Amino acid sequence: MRLARDLRILGLLGTLLLCLAWEAIGATGLGGFTWPPLSRVIAMLADPDRWDLFGRAAGSTLASAVEGYVFGALAGIALAMLTHFLPRLAPGADRLAAGMHAIPTVALAPVFLILLPAGSTAPTLAGIGVAFLVYVAAASGLRASSAAHRDLFQVLGSRPSARLLRLDLPAGLPSIATGLRLAVPAALIGAVIGEWFGAPRGLGVLIVNGMQNFQIVLLWSAVLLVALISLTAYLIAGAIERAVHARFR
Amino acid sequence: MAGSGGAAIALHDVTRRFPLKGVPDGVLALDRVTLDVRPGEFVALLGPSGCGKSTLLRMTAGLDAPSTGTVRVGGNEPAAVAGRQGFGVAFQDHALLPWLTVRDNIALPFRVAGKPVNAARIAALIALVKLTGFEGAFPRNLSGGMRQRVNIARALVLEPEVLLLDEPFGALDAVTRRHMNLELQRIWTETRTTTLLVTHAVEEALFLADRIVVMTGRPGRVAQDLAVPFARPRPVEVMREEEFHRMQDSLVLALEPEAHD
Repeated sequence: MRLARDLRILGLLGTLLLCLAWEAIGATGLGGFTWPPLSRVIAMLADPDRWDLFGRAAGSTLASAVEGYVFGALAGIALAMLTHFLPRLAPGADRLAAGMHAIPTVALAPVFLILLPAGSTAPTLAGIGVAFLVYVAAASGLRASSAAHRDLFQVLGSRPSARLLRLDLPAGLPSIATGLRLAVPAALIGAVIGEWFGAPRGLGVLIVNGMQNFQIVLLWSAVLLVALISLTAYLIAGAIERAVHARFR
Repeated sequence: MAGSGGAAIALHDVTRRFPLKGVPDGVLALDRVTLDVRPGEFVALLGPSGCGKSTLLRMTAGLDAPSTGTVRVGGNEPAAVAGRQGFGVAFQDHALLPWLTVRDNIALPFRVAGKPVNAARIAALIALVKLTGFEGAFPRNLSGGMRQRVNIARALVLEPEVLLLDEPFGALDAVTRRHMNLELQRIWTETRTTTLLVTHAVEEALFLADRIVVMTGRPGRVAQDLAVPFARPRPVEVMREEEFHRMQDSLVLALEPEAHD
């Protein structure tokens, strides 16, 4: 308990030091004029005149990320269940997933942009990143039940569906929860990159605009906002993961 | 088939070879074992580690298949018996599901079978294994002995045709183990389910079984088939009788003949 508290204090201290360094480098001009002090970035985010802009952009990015996250996670879990019942599909599905993952998202984005209806590039890219991570986690999770438990279900005359529902799925939940936590940043990365290539609004659009129009503080503000959203969602997913681990192990 | 008429469990001429790299025929684990268990009989399979007694039990449960020979339970293939929920099993690894409470773990066989959960039956079993008050507890919060009580209750919940026990108390300390054997004897006397118990503990086999089948190892063969004469119900005092000690000594000797040559 003391160690956990000490770690938390150290973590806060480290974050504070990082912010101070950011501020100091920006204020002294050590990082050049493209490195604004943290206080100016926060001032822009705190400016009520900008809230409408940031709010709409963040809302759009979040909507794409959530859409991709939900569909990607469902697809990953569904594919894992399919290969669980039809093990002969597993090697092929593994390679397909690994292949999709090996292609850089930025390389896929232009292809999807011309292939898909307008506005669906961001959620699609988010979904692909999520689906891979969740598939890998779910596929290994569904294999995680112990030999003793599998023997028990066999002797009890269990049908495959009952075994999936009452043994393999609950035994795999800790692994699936870990995959869902790791997939949170992937969903946001996919959404932002999708927005770079073509979206009416979003934090990705703000980042590109800030970059191209040399609005340096705006660029940093959008990046900081993405980071904060990602971190918050990651922490929530981490709390859910810990609860699942405590319950199902 | 010889000797299997009306038997609850009939193992006939069972041989089991395990493949081993570099050995053409594999390793012979069981060599022509024949064993019948009558309905309502409690038989203990007693033998040293590695004599194949657990393999015999796993074959009876349909978890392993003989290389040659036949295994029948109530005249049927073990898989068919499992399919009609005819087995109750308790192994050394209690195999309780960690995410289910005591009550839900005992209810699991109902749910796996797709049958409505009989709450009264579960409550009665919880009382029988003396776990009243712990219905909502999770396995991680129970002692080793309590987990095995849940394991036994789960094995009995569907009123199985055959009860298969593989060292169910093997991981417990000596005092708890003796206590659990008293409990098992009491529970068994109430149900009289056909039971096959695998153990390497002589005292346990003598106290619980109607008949003890002694096996020798490498390859596993039946060495002795011994009726246990003590009347039921057996009080704990049985273990202090002269006859109990005499049989205990002779069984210990039978288990490790090479040590007494």
